[in-house]
Amino acid sequence: MTYNHHMEEPGNLDIEVSNTTDVPRNGQRFYSAPYLELEYGVTAQWTSELYLEGQATWEDSTVFTGWRLENRFKPLHREHWINPVLYLEYESINEASRIQKEIEGGGPDLISRNALLTPRHDHELESKLILSSDYHDWNIAENFIVAKNFSRSEGVEFGYSFGVSRPLGTLASGANCRFCRENFIVGAEMYGGLGSTLDFSAHSSAHYIAPVLSWAVSDNSTLRFSPGFGLTHESNPVLFRFGYTYEVQNFGSRISKLFGRKQ
Amino acid sequence: MKRIARIGFIVLGLGMLIPASLAQNPGYQQDPTWRAPVDAVSRPNPLFTKPQTAAGGRKLFIRNCVECHGKDGAGIEKKHSADLQLPAVQQQSDGALFWKITNGNNRRGMPSFSKVPELQRWQIVMYIRTLKP
Repeated sequence: MTYNHHMEEPGNLDIEVSNTTDVPRNGQRFYSAPYLELEYGVTAQWTSELYLEGQATWEDSTVFTGWRLENRFKPLHREHWINPVLYLEYESINEASRIQKEIEGGGPDLISRNALLTPRHDHELESKLILSSDYHDWNIAENFIVAKNFSRSEGVEFGYSFGVSRPLGTLASGANCRFCRENFIVGAEMYGGLGSTLDFSAHSSAHYIAPVLSWAVSDNSTLRFSPGFGLTHESNPVLFRFGYTYEVQNFGSRISKLFGRKQ
Repeated sequence: MKRIARIGFIVLGLGMLIPASLAQNPGYQQDPTWRAPVDAVSRPNPLFTKPQTAAGGRKLFIRNCVECHGKDGAGIEKKHSADLQLPAVQQQSDGALFWKITNGNNRRGMPSFSKVPELQRWQIVMYIRTLKP
């Protein structure tokens, strides 16, 4: 998933359910890795997210794989040619995690059984430098990933993600329509791992190229679909991502009201 | 007869003033430091000759702006959001409004709407022009 510099609006909460599934290679098994994401706009320059994730593998088992807490900070007030965003994430996950929100190092272990992977618990800190530009109706974003697993000596791992996207329609029609062109965003992204300080190499990592289609079903809900095509032997041949997001506007104010805070 | 006409005139005047004052966010004060640069102020609206695009702007306004500025754009007091019907807003150029929608004002909690495509931001400007007390 390639991040750009567009932050969640302050006080709004996005609830997203997503799923990552694969077309397995020889020796790999079919899996489904769902996650729940809660994204909250703390301020106009700070967005915070909580992830809960799991995984089910064919002819194996269904397991909870952990949680992640991430924060994105936009240091500059105004729009610029290149807009930097700083990203910091803490992950408390096990080695069975397969949501592949991003790929760092060599990518996840897609062959070993869950019984072997789940006891291997990781505490990981991940940072990203997000650079994003809006050029007319195009958005171009680059993510550079650095991750450190504090639970084992894997060195410092690296990854990347690049993406471009634009809306199908640039003018909004006056009619209320679900299938208007302006409700669709199309794009493409490329993401993968770059090895680690112990083995800095892109060859032995998973890499994907993926078209992305997003459809604003209503004013506050969006469907997203992205089939990713594996470029190396360490990748799944095809990775399907499917997500639905519902935005709760004014969530912060509603919670404040619930606890009796004067507005 | 003159007296009745005078009273009627006063009542009519008050009748026009009261809704106008209710529509405004009385607590709203402009941020004097939030100014569009000169080149942005003078930027022409590419949809100026297509007033019909304001209808799409209304839809975008409802989707992105109503939450803080209210359905009539008059601002919401507890949100400290701008009353877009005020002359202080309406007298600004299309370019200045476009720049403010694009960049936002983090100090006042106004987010950037650069995620909205460029022409659609101009459509929002077109719709803001239709907001009247």
